[in-house]
Amino acid sequence: MRTNDALATSVPRAVDARLYHEPDVFAEEQRRIFRGPVWSYVALEAELEGPGAFKSTFVGDTPVVVTRDQEGALHAWVNRCAHKGALVCRAPRGRATDGSFVCVYHQWAYDAQGNLRGVPFRRGLKGVGGMAQDFDLAQHGLRKLRVANLCGMLFLSFDEKAPPLEQFLGEAMCYYIRRVFNRPIRVLGYARQNMRGNWKLYSENSRDGYHGGLLHLFYPTFGIYRPSQESAGEVDEVGFHSAFTVSKPSQTDGYENYQREANREMSGASAGAEMLRDPSVLTFRPEFDDNIALLIQSLFPSVVLQQIQNTLATRQIVTRGVAETELVWTYFGYADDDEAMTRHRIRNINLVGPAGYISMEDGEAVELCQQGTAGADGWSSFVEMGGTDVVPKVAPIGLDENAVRGFWTGYFALMKGAAEVLP
Amino acid sequence: MLGIDEASLALLDNLQRRYIEALDRRDMEAWLDCFSQDADASYFCIAAENVERGLEIALMYDDCRARLTDRVTFISKVWTGTFQPYRMRHFVQRIGTPILDHGKLSVVSNFSIATTPEGGSSSLLAVGQYEDSVVLDRGELRFLRKRAVYDTTVLPRYIVYPF
Repeated sequence: MRTNDALATSVPRAVDARLYHEPDVFAEEQRRIFRGPVWSYVALEAELEGPGAFKSTFVGDTPVVVTRDQEGALHAWVNRCAHKGALVCRAPRGRATDGSFVCVYHQWAYDAQGNLRGVPFRRGLKGVGGMAQDFDLAQHGLRKLRVANLCGMLFLSFDEKAPPLEQFLGEAMCYYIRRVFNRPIRVLGYARQNMRGNWKLYSENSRDGYHGGLLHLFYPTFGIYRPSQESAGEVDEVGFHSAFTVSKPSQTDGYENYQREANREMSGASAGAEMLRDPSVLTFRPEFDDNIALLIQSLFPSVVLQQIQNTLATRQIVTRGVAETELVWTYFGYADDDEAMTRHRIRNINLVGPAGYISMEDGEAVELCQQGTAGADGWSSFVEMGGTDVVPKVAPIGLDENAVRGFWTGYFALMKGAAEVLP
Repeated sequence: MLGIDEASLALLDNLQRRYIEALDRRDMEAWLDCFSQDADASYFCIAAENVERGLEIALMYDDCRARLTDRVTFISKVWTGTFQPYRMRHFVQRIGTPILDHGKLSVVSNFSIATTPEGGSSSLLAVGQYEDSVVLDRGELRFLRKRAVYDTTVLPRYIVYPF
């Protein structure tokens, strides 16, 4: 079988191109990864305010709903009526004020936990029709999913075998999540984009420190990041997840120096902030106890958590098909931000998103790799920058592909059935 | 508040035509020239999803003339060679009656943008509404504020050019 061929011939430092293209592989990933023993990010708790609040989204390509019940507890279920498989919840988000979710097709009614509460004409009418006497509502609920909440980031799992969330993420990843979600947040808005490429190309991209200063010309142009800057890349013990951190320059070595050293010659203009009429887009207002000005955290399999200067966002990866991936950006600030800080975050939005000054190009990279690997039977990538193995930490970033090899290490373990790899 | 005369309507439609011609040609200087010299001249490109929920996060948030100018710099200088330029055709249709109030014309138009990649077939990039505030600037009508509210829930690709 071709799927097995492509998997068998691949190793973390050399990946068979068919893994980006074959529908069999995609179907297998849905089973073994997205509906497998992992945790997939689906929402921020701040999106679910009040009893009856819900958000419908996806894990892989499966429609799911996260809810808050009347007592405030969080639940999740597959958005698929037990009767005919219709979507039960059609709105992307909202409040079911009476706490019930009713399928429009035949009015089967469920509660926030996913239990079936009522079926019209269950007893028939005047002795005609209806369900069998032994029809049991409890046997026809929605498919319930596990929910885990880490500081307001909500994750789902389909599989009882998934280890506890914090164990799955590992200590270092939990540390950076707690750092960002150190106090209540407020959602500021959304952006959604399609990429005509396989989801793994984006997963690699967000774990690829090598491309940062090369593809994203913003960094060398404005001196936000340079290879000699204090930075580090960490992965969990398997390699599933990755966190890149870049510190802001010290007092004596400000962004101005970086800009002067910018390694890019601009045609007809000098590089750096003087290119801009409004350099405030580059302004970083320190708001953490550390000096980290940039954090890109990729959590297997479905989210990137970012702090780029003062822009905070999750980027949820939704697999629409083998060659189509949707990226959902959820931007947030803190509930206690003052008006000036909120304004600053909203103005910094030009940096990130589907048209962001330092993120637009990732969509292009994903699409180019999808296009270039078409028909590449027998061709494998070459992922040996900085070695061939996976180490827990590299510093500085930009000179290796450690976290990309980490991603593939975790991916192959799940896809090849070695579930004992889970932490 | 006053309705406006035919001659002013013609000038207004002419501004909309200049705007979409500039973007269809990917001529960012001509795009910039459609905005007033006022330091507060602004352009916002925002998802209807956010507008409906009272959220301000935008795809592009250029709240002053300086940032309009910087967007031109990014597209034509910083990003050179990074993205593959994509062909666009804008279609714009004024709806409702423009309103004149204290020297500012408010006008709403529907827009749609078709795109055609190199070697590919055509498709819709985005549809939505322009909410414009227009003033007389250097003898011509120009935008003091332009807000493109796009309905397209999921954008089909990354975006370089304003809508």
